[in-house]
Amino acid sequence: MFAVAIMKRLTLAAAICGIALLQAAPSQAQQATEIRVTYSNGQFQPNQVSAPADKPILFRVKNLDAKAMEFESTSLRVEKVVAAGTEGVINVRALKAGRYEFYDDFNDKARGALTVQ
Amino acid sequence: MRGAIQSGRFHAIALGAAACFSFWQGGAARADDASSWREIETKYIFGFTTGSGIGLEGEKEFTIDTVGRFGKRDGHYTATETKYEYEFTPSQFVQIEFGALGATHNIRGMTDLDDRNQIAFAGGFAEFRYLAIERTSNNPLSVTLAFEPNVRLIDETGGERVHNYEFETAVNADLELVKNRLYAGFNLLYEPEYTQTLFGDTVREATVGGSAALAVRVLSNLVLGGEVWYLRHYDAVDFSAFTGDAVLLGPSLYIQITPKMFMTAAWNAQVWGREIGNPVSFNLAEFQRHRARLKFAWEF
Repeated sequence: MFAVAIMKRLTLAAAICGIALLQAAPSQAQQATEIRVTYSNGQFQPNQVSAPADKPILFRVKNLDAKAMEFESTSLRVEKVVAAGTEGVINVRALKAGRYEFYDDFNDKARGALTVQ
Repeated sequence: MRGAIQSGRFHAIALGAAACFSFWQGGAARADDASSWREIETKYIFGFTTGSGIGLEGEKEFTIDTVGRFGKRDGHYTATETKYEYEFTPSQFVQIEFGALGATHNIRGMTDLDDRNQIAFAGGFAEFRYLAIERTSNNPLSVTLAFEPNVRLIDETGGERVHNYEFETAVNADLELVKNRLYAGFNLLYEPEYTQTLFGDTVREATVGGSAALAVRVLSNLVLGGEVWYLRHYDAVDFSAFTGDAVLLGPSLYIQITPKMFMTAAWNAQVWGREIGNPVSFNLAEFQRHRARLKFAWEF
């Protein structure tokens, strides 16, 4: 009896997680705002970018340096290693207005910020 | 002898607290501008209280998380449970964790428990976390809903072989009170359990409670805090048979050792408790006198 109740709760939890996993999908179907950033000499260029609120964002990060970098952001909740001389593509959900910092996790001095308005 | 051990333990705790305080004073004096610090992941900065963080999409982490429980009414009681855990974040809203449980029990001379000195594989668990409210620069509140089914082959308290099914449901919330500096954490917990013993007996019980915690980021890689927990125990999953409650209080520590590695430690002491029908101080039937947590995590 109790095992049945547990199974029901597990099913409910799995359903919630499934819905949550799918939550990003419809927003990706919207036209994403594309932001292009290059990374060279250990710095983002530009390091201040902006995007409209409530629309998904697509970051294209081109690493021109001779070593890998990791595009990371706690508030955007993304991380991606971009190998030397390649371009990384990072999809970000539709965001509310605010300031979102990003950085290179391998280089504490490389910082940037996205302003959503 | 036991008194001497306890006295030594409290001396060690006092020394630890003094060391933490002096480290905090030094850290605060040296602290640079917090606005230049990277944002912090809040999940593990509050000790036993869990923050709302769910990690970063694409991030994977391996952790070893040990919780020790010490002290019952009489005799000697030490038990630990260690989670060997893999966690990953498949989307910007969901985190999934799973792993194995290991347990140790060192029990001697206790009234209601058999003497035991064992190390055992104890079962497995999974956890699903969904970020319901996300923090932005305009909204300091973040809330995550967590569901954690556990299957245990070893009884958490006594160490005997059982089949135990637990379904922990929690709300993990936190507030950024001062940007990059001061955080408040809050948990609500409902933990129903079903246990079948080797003799065929079945036990249904539940623990429900909540916590409040405060964490101060004194250096970019160091967070100190304190938390208080209020827990109630029932011999039923529907709150119909209340058996006792307890208040636990203690400090917490979080250190980001490298960008890809951190550790967290916490200690709670029961400062108040009651057992229904037993006029004694503290609730040591369902809870322990002290509990401690030590966790190491490696991201990759």
